Amino acid sequence: MRDVAVLLNDLKSSGIVLDYALFGAAAQMRYTEPVATPDAEVLVVVPSPGRLDMLAPVYAFCATRGFVPEGESIRVGAWPVQFVPVFSPLTEAAVRDAETADFEGVPLRVVRADYLAVIALSVARGKDFARVLALLESGSVTRDEIGRLAAAHALAEAWVRFESRFLDD
Amino acid sequence: MTDVEELLKRQSRWQKSRASLSWPAKIRIAAETREDVAMFRRLGKPLQRPVTPPGRPRV
Repeated sequence: MRDVAVLLNDLKSSGIVLDYALFGAAAQMRYTEPVATPDAEVLVVVPSPGRLDMLAPVYAFCATRGFVPEGESIRVGAWPVQFVPVFSPLTEAAVRDAETADFEGVPLRVVRADYLAVIALSVARGKDFARVLALLESGSVTRDEIGRLAAAHALAEAWVRFESRFLDD
Repeated sequence: MTDVEELLKRQSRWQKSRASLSWPAKIRIAAETREDVAMFRRLGKPLQRPVTPPGRPRV
């Protein structure tokens, strides 16, 4: 993951992406026990978001560093990295408000716990609900914090349903 | 409490204790298990297909 962090910082300093933040399971593991995941997911803000091939410059840059595509991902050391352009006001805000963590001496931007939980709430698969529960159990985020952020992104109803289904006695 | 319940509780305690590992350590664990998880997922896929060819009655 250190190599991934170096690559992401290079992508940003070269202007290929305007910003990035690790999210998904790899980001979740900052707070919870290790979880199985097939890849490292990275939200990216690209300069030309309207283009169909908006990730082409990212892939081209990776190729110059010797990192080649593997399915829908780019293989970087042990990790297939999946680049996901921001796709909603919620994911845009998640990147904007991301924290810069230290990963073995390399800065790595990571989506905050509250955003991880609300993104998971919005995706709403079984494993996403498990992520919300794991983050709550870790103490990295509170029900109130999730509720506030969910309400700010038109997910208040989804949060009420989640609480009713999984948290209320 | 049955032996199985005790075993599951111990397993749960151990798993939760791993949350206190450093983030790079947890990422390394996930990376080491990634290939195994992928293999099990590949192995699982054929089991989801019908065992008998379409149109042939199941015995």
